[in-house]
Amino acid sequence: MRALKLAVFAAVAVGFLSGFTGCSSGSSADNPSNPDTSQPPGGSSGVTYNGPAPQTDDVQNFRLNVWDNLAAETHCGACHGVGGQVPQFVRDDDINLAYNAANTIVDLRVPANSRMVSKVAEGHNCWESNASVCGDIITNYIEGWAGDGGNANVIALTAPTIQDVGASKTFPSSSAEFDTLIYQPYLRQYCASCHAEDGAVAQQQPYFAGSNVDDAYQAAKSKINLDIPASSRFVVRLGDESHGCWDNCANNAAAMEAAIAAFSDGIPVTTVDADLVLSKALRLTDGIVASSGGRVESNVIALYEFKAGSGSTAFDTSGVTPSLNLQLSGDYEWVGSWGIRFNSGKAQGSTANSRKLFDFITTSGEYSIEAWVIPDNVNQDGPARIVTYSGGNETRNFTLGQTLYNYNYLNRSSVTDANGNPDLSTADAAERLQATLQHVVLTFDPVEGRRIYVNGEYTGDADDQGGASLNSWDDSFALALASEVSNSDRWAGTVRLLAIHNRALSDEQVLQNFDAGVGEKFFLLFSVTDLINVPDSYVVFEAQQFDNYGYLFNTPFFVSLDANAQLSDIPLRGMRIGINGREAKSGQAYANLETVLSDANYVAGRQDLSPLGTVLALEKGPTDDEFFLSFDRLGDNTYVRTPVTVPVPGAPADLTPRPRIGMRTFDEINATLAAATGVSQTNSEVAATYATVKQQLPTVPYIDGFLAANQMAVTQLAVKYCSELVDDTGLRASFFPGFNFSASAATAFDTPAKRDQVISPLLDRLLANDIAGSSLSTQPDPAVVSAELNGLIDKMVACGSGCASDRTPTVVKATCAAAVGNAVMLVQ
Amino acid sequence: MIAMKTRLINQNNAPYRRFVQRLLIVGCCALAAAPDVLAGAREQAKRIHDRLAGVPPTEAVLLDMAADISSGNAIQAAYTAMDNEAFYSITLKNLVTPWTNRDQTVFAPLNDYTATVIGVVRDELDFRRILFDDILYVGAGSLGLPPYANDNNDHYEAFENQNISFITGLEQRQQSSVTGLPAAATSGVLTSRGGARSFFIAGTNRAMFRFTMLNHLCNDLEQVHDISLPPDRIRRDVTRSPGGDSRAFLNGCVGCHNGMDPMTQAFAYYNYIYDADSDLTGENGSIGYNDVGQTDAVTGSRVTAKYHINDANFSFGYLTPDDSWINYWRTGINSRLGWDQNLPGSGSGARSMAQELAYSQAFAQCHVTKVFRNVCLREPEDAADRSQIDAMVASFSSDTHSYNIKQVFAESADYCKGD
Repeated sequence: MRALKLAVFAAVAVGFLSGFTGCSSGSSADNPSNPDTSQPPGGSSGVTYNGPAPQTDDVQNFRLNVWDNLAAETHCGACHGVGGQVPQFVRDDDINLAYNAANTIVDLRVPANSRMVSKVAEGHNCWESNASVCGDIITNYIEGWAGDGGNANVIALTAPTIQDVGASKTFPSSSAEFDTLIYQPYLRQYCASCHAEDGAVAQQQPYFAGSNVDDAYQAAKSKINLDIPASSRFVVRLGDESHGCWDNCANNAAAMEAAIAAFSDGIPVTTVDADLVLSKALRLTDGIVASSGGRVESNVIALYEFKAGSGSTAFDTSGVTPSLNLQLSGDYEWVGSWGIRFNSGKAQGSTANSRKLFDFITTSGEYSIEAWVIPDNVNQDGPARIVTYSGGNETRNFTLGQTLYNYNYLNRSSVTDANGNPDLSTADAAERLQATLQHVVLTFDPVEGRRIYVNGEYTGDADDQGGASLNSWDDSFALALASEVSNSDRWAGTVRLLAIHNRALSDEQVLQNFDAGVGEKFFLLFSVTDLINVPDSYVVFEAQQFDNYGYLFNTPFFVSLDANAQLSDIPLRGMRIGINGREAKSGQAYANLETVLSDANYVAGRQDLSPLGTVLALEKGPTDDEFFLSFDRLGDNTYVRTPVTVPVPGAPADLTPRPRIGMRTFDEINATLAAATGVSQTNSEVAATYATVKQQLPTVPYIDGFLAANQMAVTQLAVKYCSELVDDTGLRASFFPGFNFSASAATAFDTPAKRDQVISPLLDRLLANDIAGSSLSTQPDPAVVSAELNGLIDKMVACGSGCASDRTPTVVKATCAAAVGNAVMLVQ
Repeated sequence: MIAMKTRLINQNNAPYRRFVQRLLIVGCCALAAAPDVLAGAREQAKRIHDRLAGVPPTEAVLLDMAADISSGNAIQAAYTAMDNEAFYSITLKNLVTPWTNRDQTVFAPLNDYTATVIGVVRDELDFRRILFDDILYVGAGSLGLPPYANDNNDHYEAFENQNISFITGLEQRQQSSVTGLPAAATSGVLTSRGGARSFFIAGTNRAMFRFTMLNHLCNDLEQVHDISLPPDRIRRDVTRSPGGDSRAFLNGCVGCHNGMDPMTQAFAYYNYIYDADSDLTGENGSIGYNDVGQTDAVTGSRVTAKYHINDANFSFGYLTPDDSWINYWRTGINSRLGWDQNLPGSGSGARSMAQELAYSQAFAQCHVTKVFRNVCLREPEDAADRSQIDAMVASFSSDTHSYNIKQVFAESADYCKGD
C-alpha cells in the first residue's frame, strides 16, 4: 500500500478534494481580484517604511498584511520595534528582519493557532475592549499573509488523546418509577387527550401518555434527558415553547423538571453498553480546528464574525480602521455557533465610524454585502431590514431586506431615488429566501448595477436600472442590522457573518465564499485502532456546533496516520454516533452505511465513507458533550441489534353512542326528490336551482348537524321540483292520475277522494304509505301526514271563489313540496 | 347567498313554504328522537337501500330485499341495493371525490381518479389495484363524449353533467393505452390525470405520498411520526435548523421525512406540466414522466428538477439519483401498519411502492373503516363495532372475497340494518 498522506484539505468541508490552496484570506491565484485602490497609501497603520526592499514575495505579503497593520504605536509598534521587546516583528529598519521575527510567532497553516494571536487574545495589549477581538483581527492579518504564500488550507491530522467512552445514566427496564413520578402525575393526566392512541382530541404520536404505561415509557424515553433534566424535551416543550401547559407554563416546566430529576436521581450511573462495538471518545474541542479560510476577503472593509458570544457589542474584526463596532439593543441573543439572533432587536454603528463605508465604497464605486443569515420565518415584510446603511425610513445608501420569500436590494445611485428605489428583488416564484441558513450576497458595480446571489448562485434577477454612480450617497448614515435605524421594520432572524467589501465580488468569488461556509469547524478523529488492528486508524468527521441546539457531523472518512498501514478488506456496517454514553436517539444518518475498508478504496490518503451530514441534539454543550461511534460490524467485531418491540396498541376508549339514523346529503336529496316527483335531475330549472343551493344542503349525514340553512335549501329545491312536475302537463297527468288541474280551487279539492289523488302518489313514492297492507314502522303514520297535508290544502283554498285562476296547480305544488321536502324524505 | 335565498323564497308562495319548513322541523326532530327500533325486514330493507344508494327503493325493490332478509340473506339484499345507479353516481362518487384533491372537498368535478375507483368497485376487482395497476376507466365511446385528453377534464365533466350511468357508461381500459404513459410507469389512480393534477403539481411530489397515506392508509404523517429511523434519505431541501433551531428538526421534521422521503423517491420521474403563469391551477396541464433516455436539464438524470429544489438548504442531505425507494417503516413503531412480508420492501418506481402501500393491513383496515363509516353513519364506537371491523377486514382480504369492496359495503349494511 502506498504511503498514507497525513494531511487533508479544508476543502473536505464541501465534500470533495478541490486541491486549491493559498486562499485563506485574500484572493487566490485562480480568482484574482481587481487592484485595491481604496486602501490608504502606506498601509492602514499610517507608518511609512523606508528600509530595504522585501527579499521575497512572502516577505512582501507579510509587510502588506501584517506589518502595515500592526506597526503603528497604537498597536504593536510602541514595544516590538527596533530596540524594543523581542520578537521585533514590527521593526521599521528592515522588513526582512521583521519577517524573520514574525515567523517565530505565527502558524501559517492554522493562523488562529499562532502565538501572536493567542498572546493578544489572552489580554496582551489589545486595543479593543474585548481581547478576543484583537485575536480575531490579527488572525485575519495572518490569514491574509498566508493566503498567497502559505498553506493555510492544508490541515495536518494528528492523533488525539485516546480516551474511553465515559459512564452515563441509562433508562431502567422497569417503568415503575416512571409511572409513579412522571406518567401518572403529569403525562397521563395532562397529555393524554392528544398523545395517546385513545386521545379524545387527537391521536398524536408519540403516545407517551397512552393507556399502557410500558408503551408510554418506551415513547417517553427520547423526551427525557437523565443527565440534564432541564434539557428534557418535556421540559423545553412546556417552558420554552408553551406547548400543552395545563396552567402556568413556567410552573409546569419546573414541575416536570423536578419530576424528571427525581426519576434521574434514582438511577445509578452506568457505563456504556459493553456489547456495543465502540470507537474511542472525543469532545468537540478535542478536534483539530478546520481552518475556516478559503474566503475572499482582500477588500473587506467591515467584518462581523460574532465570535464574542456575549456582551452588547458586535465587533468589526476586519482590521480596517476605524472599527465599525455595532451596539446591540432590544431583544437579541448570542448564538453558540457564532452569530446573533434578533428577536426584536438591533445592532447599530455610529455615524462617525459608519462613514468609513461611505469613504471606501464611494472611492471604489462598487461594493458587496455578504451575509450568512437564518431568517426566522417567511412572513416578514416591509421590507424587513436585515442589513441597512441608512438615515431613516425613507433615506438610505443600501439595504438588504426581506419580503416574505424574497430578498430585496435597495441602493441609492444616480438611477434610483434617495430611498434606493426602484428596488431589485428576487422573483416571487423562485422563493429564494428560506427560513434556514443561507449565504446571500449583494453586489454593485458601475457597469452591471445590482446583482443578488443566494447560496453561491446568481439569482438571475436583472437590474433594470443597470449601472450607475454612487455620487448621491450620504456620509451621515449609520450601519444597522435587523432593524431600520429608526427602529422600524424589524427583522427576526440570525446573522452569523457579515462582510462588507468595497469591490463587487465576481461569480467565482461569491461561490468560493459560499463553499468556505461559516462557523468554527473541527476534525474529530475517532480511534478504531483497537477494533481493526490497523495502526493509527480513525474514522474522521468534520463537526461543528450547528446552532444553539445541535451539532453538525458530516462527510466521514477513514484514515490511518501510519504511512505503512495496510487495509485488508475490513467490513464496516451500521455506524452510529453516540453522545454522553449512549447512541443518539435521532439523526443516525449512517445507520445503513455498509462498505469495506480496503486499499483499493483508499484514495488520496483517505477512504470516504459517506457524502452525508447529520444533525445531533446538543445536550451539555460543546465543551462537555462526549461523542463516540458504534458499529454493527467493524472488522471481526459485531453487535447484534435487537429489533424494537412494537407495543400492541390498547383498545381505544368507547365513544359516546351516535344516533343510528342520519340525513340524506346533497346529492342524495337531489336524487331522492327526482325519484319522488319523477322530474329529471337534468331538468334545466331544477339543475339551476340545485347548483345554487347544493352547498347549502347537508354535506354530512349526521342528524344532529342539521341547520336552519339546510332547511331553507331543502325547501327551495323541493319547491322547484314540484313546480316543474305540476307545470309539465304530461308528467303531472301520469303522476296524479284522475286529478283535474283545470278545476277551480273551490271544486278541485272538495272531496277526500280528489285530495287523495294528490296526496297518495306522493306518499307512495316516499314509501310513506301503506305497503302490502301496512306502513313501515320507521316512517311517519300516513294518516298523520295526510292530515297535515289536508290542513295545508284547507288553508290554501280558503280564498274560495276569490282564488286566482291558477290556484289549483299552486295548491298541488304546495302539497307536493310539503310532502317531499320534509323529514320523510330527508331522514335515512 | 342570503340575498339569493330571499329572492327565491319571495318568488313563490309563502304560506306553503312556511308549512314545509314546519314539517321539516317537526319530522326531523321526531325521527331523530326515535329509538333504533325496527320492526322487520321491510324496515331493514329500506335502511340498507337508503344507506347504500342514498335514495329510497321502489316498492318492488323493497319487497324483494325484504324477502331476502327474511330468508336470512341480507347480503343479497345489499347487493340488490347496490344495483341502483345511485350507489355509484352518489354514494361512491361522494366517498371518493375528496380523495382526489388537496382541499378534500366533495364539491369537485368527476375525474379519472374517481371514475377508476368507481369502476373497480362496480366490476368487483381486487380493490388494491386502484393504487398500482395499469388501469383506468373512461366513458364508453358510444356516448359521444369529448374524448379523454391528457390536458383537460372535459371527458369526465361531460359524463357527470349528462348524468350518464356509471353502470352502463363506464368502461375499463389500460391506463397506458389511454394516457400514453409507459405501462411500467402507470400506477393506478396515482398516475391518473386527476391524481397528478392535485398531487404532482409544483412542490416536491411529497404531496402525492402524504395524501395517499391519508386517503388509503388512514394515517397522516403525524400518526407515523418516528424520530428514531435513519435520516439518510432526507432530501437537501429540508432545513435541519428551521429558523436557526435544530430542535424543530430533530423532534419534528425528521420524524416524518425519514420515512416519507425514501418512499416518495418512487415518484422521482414524475411531474405535472402546466403553465404556472397563465393556468395557475393546472386546468390544462398534464402528467409528465421522464422515460428512459429523457434527461432533466437541472438534475442531469431522469430525476425531475423538483427533487433537487432548494438543495442548499442542507447541502449534506440526500441528493436523489433515481427513483429507487425503500420502506423504513417496516421496522420500528410503524411496522404496526402490517406490511406484506411477501414483498421486498424496496424497489424502483411508483408502481412497486404503491403496491407496498396497497398490500399493507392498514390499507384494508382503512377502507373497511371508511365503508363502515359511510354506511353506518358513525365511527366504530364500541367493542362490538371494532370486532365487526376486524371481521370485515378478514373477510375483505380472504381468498373468498379477494378484496372485493362491494362485499364490505354489503357486510356493513347488514351489520347496521337495525334490529
